[in-house]
Amino acid sequence: MRTSKKMKKVMLVGTVALTTLVSSACGNGNNAAESSGDSGDKVTLSFMHPWTSPNVDNEVYKARIAEFEKTHPNIVIKQDGVASAQYKTKLRTLAAANSLSDINVVWPGADLQPLVAGDLLLPIDSEMANWSSILPEDALAGFNQGGKQYAIPTKQTFVDIVYYNKEMFSSIGYEAFPDAYDKFIDAVKKLKEKNITPISLGNKEKWPLQSSILSTLQERFVGSDFLQKVLNKEAKFTDPQYVKALSVIEELTKLKAFNTDANNMDSVQAQDYFIQGKAAMHISSSTVDSRIRITNEEGDKFGIALMPSVEGGLGDAKKSAGVVQFGIAINSELDEKKKQAALEFMKFFVNEELYKELISKGVVVPAKVDIPEDASKYLKEMIALTGNGTSPVFDSVIPTQITDVMQNGLQAITVGVSTAEKVAQDVQTALDNLK
Amino acid sequence: MHTLKGTKYAIFFGLLPALIIYLGIAVVPIGMSAYYSVMNWDGIQPMAFVGIDNYTEIFKDDIFWMTVKNNVFIMLTGIVGQIPAGLFLALLLNRKMRGAGFFRTIGFLPVVISSVMVSLIWGMVYNTEYGMLNSILSSIGLESWRQNWLGDTSWSLISISITYIWQNCGLFMVIFLAALQNIPTEVNEAAELDGATGFKKSMLITIPMIRGTILVTAVYSISNSFRVFDLIQIMTGGGPAHVTEVMTIYMYNNAFMNMRFGYGSAVSVLILLFSLIVVSIVNRVAKEKDA
Repeated sequence: MRTSKKMKKVMLVGTVALTTLVSSACGNGNNAAESSGDSGDKVTLSFMHPWTSPNVDNEVYKARIAEFEKTHPNIVIKQDGVASAQYKTKLRTLAAANSLSDINVVWPGADLQPLVAGDLLLPIDSEMANWSSILPEDALAGFNQGGKQYAIPTKQTFVDIVYYNKEMFSSIGYEAFPDAYDKFIDAVKKLKEKNITPISLGNKEKWPLQSSILSTLQERFVGSDFLQKVLNKEAKFTDPQYVKALSVIEELTKLKAFNTDANNMDSVQAQDYFIQGKAAMHISSSTVDSRIRITNEEGDKFGIALMPSVEGGLGDAKKSAGVVQFGIAINSELDEKKKQAALEFMKFFVNEELYKELISKGVVVPAKVDIPEDASKYLKEMIALTGNGTSPVFDSVIPTQITDVMQNGLQAITVGVSTAEKVAQDVQTALDNLK
Repeated sequence: MHTLKGTKYAIFFGLLPALIIYLGIAVVPIGMSAYYSVMNWDGIQPMAFVGIDNYTEIFKDDIFWMTVKNNVFIMLTGIVGQIPAGLFLALLLNRKMRGAGFFRTIGFLPVVISSVMVSLIWGMVYNTEYGMLNSILSSIGLESWRQNWLGDTSWSLISISITYIWQNCGLFMVIFLAALQNIPTEVNEAAELDGATGFKKSMLITIPMIRGTILVTAVYSISNSFRVFDLIQIMTGGGPAHVTEVMTIYMYNNAFMNMRFGYGSAVSVLILLFSLIVVSIVNRVAKEKDA
């Protein structure tokens, strides 16, 4: 009996201790890299990034790292690729253990804030001359806190692109994507009548409804400055207009607009579902355009659009919700030699070349560079669609804990155990109780 | 006298490494968790002492009580499912028969497969569109029984429990098999001479003989059920809308997703307390029966 108790304690604590162990192990890795850097002429820099899946842009990034190592034989980049779904968790855990890699990929806004508050990242204002001619201020704003710049973005992602199957829409009499909310709902109903799943949704990870769908509805109903107003306590999530935005998800649920297994599917499975022609729409980020259209032989079947305007809405129907992504940031605690090497890497890695390579692969970038001749027509279409102003994405403004309440609330609406009013109330309460 | 003293030191030094490891990976982290649990800490900025605030907040959180309820559900279905199923399989395989080794291996297989694989496999079985379970139901004419097994709030926890039972009953089977094989052959022979065979022998002789083992497995099953994490995290992520969330996932989400390490630590202290309470109740009940 004693042993079983002991065992249990060991196991229980294991759950808590696991992350500590993992992070301290990584910390040791860092130290090892440091000592090897000091002993010889070579400097080794650790670089943690989420570029593990075989995307076109990930390949560009990796090729760029390889190129750097070739031209800088005295600097070794030790890569730590973490699957993107787990990346943020690992970054936060390493930050908690104060053992971030030398160079890290970071997210802007609410995600960057705690790292800056903990003095974990190096301000790079003195280096900004390298990028000032190609990066507009609004591309840098998300990585600027308290007047200091902490990272440089590599790509721009619009999260609320509606991909639609042109054939299916034409079969219900829509030759173009509906331009008003009423028509959109009408299309959903007609698709349903024809036994076509209107929208493929993979919400198991809980962020797609929040990030891709709520962000766009929010813009249409309450406008771009609403979230900031809520944080400043000048508005509330319970305001009737915001509840209306949430009740769209309730309405879509009642119309059975989503596939039945939306909460068991991940976002990639939902893309597959759409590409295979099992649903008429899929609402996701501009990043998946390369899968759905650019590298897909049947890409012409699919069109892109934004969620249409709503009657009485306070926002702009032309704006797309977007964030700049993959900020490259440097650990604040590097010695002089490593710091210089890291800055050298950063200058090489994020420059005009990188942006051009990304564009030619169909990736939207935040930089002002000429669009090359060989850019795909899909990319040009995407740039035209998203070029009319950017509205905020929910989780890039609202703190993580509150986003968590919202995400679970949205999921609750889709399984019919909650309502728009109740979710708005819960999220507002969580915000009021925030410490 | 002299030699005895020497032996004492030898025993002490012999136990020392194990003691240090045990302290390092069990006692110290529990202490650290308890310490963090009275702090407000985002993991990066300095900790702030908040006393029992985390605990009062947890007790007021409906979602926490929902996760406790879910843990109790997993615990009860675990005990009711795993122990009888393990015992039944053990009784079945505890005889001289052809291929017994093969069947024992099959029975034990789920225990050896990693939880990640188990979750992925069962995720496919339960899949609404092309899952095995729904396909079987359709093919035998029970179309109307098809369900959204993991996505429907009324089915998801039950579906997970079934996977959990399947995953663990093999381990109980092996423990029971070992116990059954320790029953002296004289007892079995005496029972058979007195005319007890088959079901009667199992109920009146075999099962009472391994009562101690059954109690140990019950305690094990309870403490196991409070630790369940990976299975649910992978199959549903605690969703939809918290209906399959258990205390460990609640702790994980708060500590590592929401960056509230103090709050998460408080939850982990509560998990420890809860399982200690339930285990001590079981031990007490068992002792009373012995007396």
